[in-house]
Amino acid sequence: MNTQLDMDKIAKGLGAERREKITASGGYFGAMQILADIQARFRVPSGGGRPTDRGWTERRLLPLAPRTLKRLEEITAKIREQGRVNVEPMQLAALLLEKTTDQLSEDDAEKLIRPKRRARR
Amino acid sequence: MHCYVRSVYIDRSVAKRRTKAPAKGRVVLTRGRKRVLVVPFVPSVERDGTTSIDQERWVDATLEMFGRVFGGATAYPKAKGIWRDDEKGGALVRDEPVVVHCYTTPDDIQDDGNLAELGAFCRTMGREARQGEIGLVIGDEYFAIHDFGEE
Repeated sequence: MNTQLDMDKIAKGLGAERREKITASGGYFGAMQILADIQARFRVPSGGGRPTDRGWTERRLLPLAPRTLKRLEEITAKIREQGRVNVEPMQLAALLLEKTTDQLSEDDAEKLIRPKRRARR
Repeated sequence: MHCYVRSVYIDRSVAKRRTKAPAKGRVVLTRGRKRVLVVPFVPSVERDGTTSIDQERWVDATLEMFGRVFGGATAYPKAKGIWRDDEKGGALVRDEPVVVHCYTTPDDIQDDGNLAELGAFCRTMGREARQGEIGLVIGDEYFAIHDFGEE
């Protein structure tokens, strides 16, 4: 993700020392972030049922490839094995979709739109 | 090559009902997106590695500050951490930090007033919780604050 931040300005403003570049979006750390998110947000509904985010009240059809569903099933199976939380594959999909949408920059969004506009000309 | 597609139901958060159509489809993209992740670490022990600090108080204070200045934050469950104190002969300090995540905009994180407030908060926590260093990840870079002097 290209954030185009002025890191020197940030360091000066904070009174901090710049150390090193990090990548914290994938791998084990990324997985742990997802897990922590699920634990922090999913609650058992008062009327019973599986834990969910109470803010998720809308339902829509989402097309996806079998390999994507398989990957989601594998990840949620591992989470269940660890006994952390009983999350379903499509709940994980919804969480990932929400996080990605929140993080999508204006530039990223425009890049998604641009090829369609060109194709229409 | 065949591409099979399966449709399933998913949940999603409630979208606010739009009252006015966005002009030319661009208005929705003009506001800054919260795409910069800021991650402070709230320690559990002092620099000596044994004296506990009031971590809950500092987690609450961190959330309150991020909520007020940047619009929100999430504190995760306790993690396990280790830090090498080079000023004390490389002694290893073990603790159970709480990691806080805050998504904000490039403008907000580079705002002079916001940076001053965030820096002041980190220095206060470092000073009062007797830390050797306060660590902060912003975007894709780690920042370290050592000087906890009052301004």
